[in-house]
Amino acid sequence: MTQNKSFLSRRRVLAGALQGAGLLWLAGCDGLFNGLQQNQKVLSLLESVEGANRRLLRFLAGRNALAQEFEEKDISRYFKSNGNPPPMALEYLSGAASNWADWKLGIAGLVEQNEGFSLPAIRAMPARTQITRHDCVEGWSAIAKWKGVPLHEVIRRVRPRAEAQYVVFHCWDTDSEGNAYYESIDFHDALHPQTILAYEMNDRPLPVAHGAPLRLRVETQLGYKMAKYIQRLEFVARVNQIGQGRGGYWADQGYEWYAGI
Amino acid sequence: LLGIENTEMGPFPRAFPSWATIPGYFWLAGGRRWHFFFAWVFVLNGLVYFFYSLAKGHLGKLFLRPRDWIKIPAMALYYLGLRRASPQQEEYNPLQKLAYSGVLFILVPLIVLSGLAMSPQMDAGFHWLPAMFGGRQSARTLHFVGTWLFALFTFGHVFMVVATGVVNNMRSMITGWYVEKHTPAAETVGTKVVVDEIAAAAEPVREASPAVAEAEPHIEAPGRETPEEKRAEEKNDAE
Repeated sequence: MTQNKSFLSRRRVLAGALQGAGLLWLAGCDGLFNGLQQNQKVLSLLESVEGANRRLLRFLAGRNALAQEFEEKDISRYFKSNGNPPPMALEYLSGAASNWADWKLGIAGLVEQNEGFSLPAIRAMPARTQITRHDCVEGWSAIAKWKGVPLHEVIRRVRPRAEAQYVVFHCWDTDSEGNAYYESIDFHDALHPQTILAYEMNDRPLPVAHGAPLRLRVETQLGYKMAKYIQRLEFVARVNQIGQGRGGYWADQGYEWYAGI
Repeated sequence: LLGIENTEMGPFPRAFPSWATIPGYFWLAGGRRWHFFFAWVFVLNGLVYFFYSLAKGHLGKLFLRPRDWIKIPAMALYYLGLRRASPQQEEYNPLQKLAYSGVLFILVPLIVLSGLAMSPQMDAGFHWLPAMFGGRQSARTLHFVGTWLFALFTFGHVFMVVATGVVNNMRSMITGWYVEKHTPAAETVGTKVVVDEIAAAAEPVREASPAVAEAEPHIEAPGRETPEEKRAEEKNDAE
């Protein structure tokens, strides 16, 4: 008899399966990864790619590349309203009850002109209407029609000082522990033609669930950047004095400040 | 829903069990950090591999050519144990080429592009990117399926490395040396001649040529090689 010349002997298959299982077991060491996750050095290493993402993606896409705009027929019938429940602050509720008659968008920080804008004043500014896709960090997306004032129109009127680097959006809504929602974007996104302060959704005044009276649309980033229930804008050189200092409510929870991916 | 996580607030249903996720507890933000860090490692490593292999002519050996298709059934029969002698003629057999080419030229680009198609920033610059997958949500599905296929490939790849001799394979990946056990037909059971294949490394033919088979069995020590040989061996990287 000739010897067994088959390509894999039983012993080898068994050994391979055992060693493969060993490797899988290693991958299953979630305690190890949980420990690494708590390690400050590991965390900052992991976080270091955020800046690389921002530079690469902005470089590849180009500065004022417009997000795809869709047609009326593409509008989603259902658009999930995510995030905090509608604000319960008395001031907010009375504003909603009076159709925002006395409401003003506050302006603060490093600007020449810090007079606020009433809703009629905002509506009187040049408007932009866009049907765009909203991408949530949770994975879903939805398409809606938004109408609002381009943020650059507001910026032009408030005349930020040279030191200003970021626009911060302070909001009415809070989480269950009372932390106020806020967000910030840099001028790269703030001056983008599709970055608008929206007051209409699908041809109707912005509903409370979607951030009445005014919400941000940044079409180059994920949904969590698009602050709802905006109270006031603040122009700052650094964001480290606001909230927990990472530039946004979700960034304070460990999410990326740059949410372009 | 494939798992339950025991948290301080009691059991918590999870789409994937804790052992399969990084971090083990439910934290999307943390998972994203790991994801994007290793996305960079994956892509940069892939680019280095691709261009180095291209420059060294290694990629050509892996590439599944039209003439390889016809050889696939014979090779599959051998793998299934239905055929005694290996029909392998080249350094990589047609099934290896199928797997490597499929992963390298189809699966990996699919994973990277479908991942980028989920980026609102990329989509602003390249409207065709999500469109080529039929929209962002299909890109998301394909990204997920692609990941599983890649994991399957990795599992199969590591299994074969281990099953066909982990020491020898690891040595050949790192140094380019591959020691082949060679059994002449008329030989008695148990006697094995170790033939160093490195002598033939300059040629893409893996099977021992008659000249080598007839030669005195010998094992070359890695220390004796000249730089010239070293370069030739690197081309023979069997990964």
